Amino acid sequence: MNHQPFEVWMFADQALTFEQKRQLQAHLRICSQCAALAEVSLALHSAKVVAPASGFADRFQVRLAAQRKTQRQRNFWGFLILVLSGLGVLLWLTWPVLGMVVNSPAKILSAWLSFLLAFWFSIQALAEAGTVLWRVMPALIPPHIWALITFVFTGWSLLWVLSIWKFARIPQGV
Amino acid sequence: MNEEMTWIVQAQNGSDEAYTHLVEAYQTPVYNLCYRMLGEPEAAEDAAQETFLKTYQNLTRYDRGRPFATWLLAIAAHHCIDRLRRKRFISFSIDEDDEAQMELPDRAAPDPETETVRRQEQVYLHRLLQSLNPTDRAALVLRYWHDCSEIEIAQALSLTVPAVKSRLHRARRELAKLWEVEAPRARTERRPYESPAF
Repeated sequence: MNHQPFEVWMFADQALTFEQKRQLQAHLRICSQCAALAEVSLALHSAKVVAPASGFADRFQVRLAAQRKTQRQRNFWGFLILVLSGLGVLLWLTWPVLGMVVNSPAKILSAWLSFLLAFWFSIQALAEAGTVLWRVMPALIPPHIWALITFVFTGWSLLWVLSIWKFARIPQGV
Repeated sequence: MNEEMTWIVQAQNGSDEAYTHLVEAYQTPVYNLCYRMLGEPEAAEDAAQETFLKTYQNLTRYDRGRPFATWLLAIAAHHCIDRLRRKRFISFSIDEDDEAQMELPDRAAPDPETETVRRQEQVYLHRLLQSLNPTDRAALVLRYWHDCSEIEIAQALSLTVPAVKSRLHRARRELAKLWEVEAPRARTERRPYESPAF
């Protein structure tokens, strides 16, 4: 049996014409499926809203206060654990140099100076090595390899920009 | 700025009192949605309270261009859907719950018999709702209990408008199928083709 347009009419927001009503009523007398749908429609349209037990807002206040208390406790313990862990890590890292605290200030100063000097010379050596490589490399690598490297880097950059654009987009509406 | 918006702005600035006004104003629609979704008064109360807590925590994200009620109901609906998905085994007793929530027939009503039949139908409807898919159920509750438009339902449930239409259609058909089997008494006492609604 054809149930159209009766299904549409039953759930239409606008009022039906006299003729539509007559046709629908005639169809409902002979079609049990549409009759059940009509009963559901009537029941849905007369559905009642159920209210909560009185004092809902008061119970909400109690719950809010309890949640805040729990949150405060959680924050306190979280902070305490973080501080203690930080102190532990700091102690572990500084343990080897803690012995220096008992040394004389002149010893500490000379140790630091020698460390800084060593660091400075290392940086200089690395810079020199870099300069040499910069001069030698272009001669060692053929031009087609340079072209390939440029091509790969350009492609990689494009892919990166496209990915960022695609994933950063926020869907609008529905 | 209307009263509701004043409360929202004050609540966004941390006023518990202003937020309590919002809770009082929207407790019934939120509770009703949760009750229709979860089927049990205790679970509905818990879900409604959780919805208001969640909403308060995220109030700064509320877009003032959108109706507050729709935003609130969307949070409630998603909360209930998540809850239903997490729930593995549903032990649901309709008789107890309906006794707890149902009002007694109004003796002063013009036709107490019709009133009783109507209440019976509401009991059936509530029971049948629980057998629907959670998202379909949410769409149906928002449409018929809260008079939301298809666009509002789509926004609330993160669906497209055609998807909402299709879900509503499917849910009504599913309900009608179950109605034929589950509500024989109400069917014999009520003939829809005699109703002035049709």
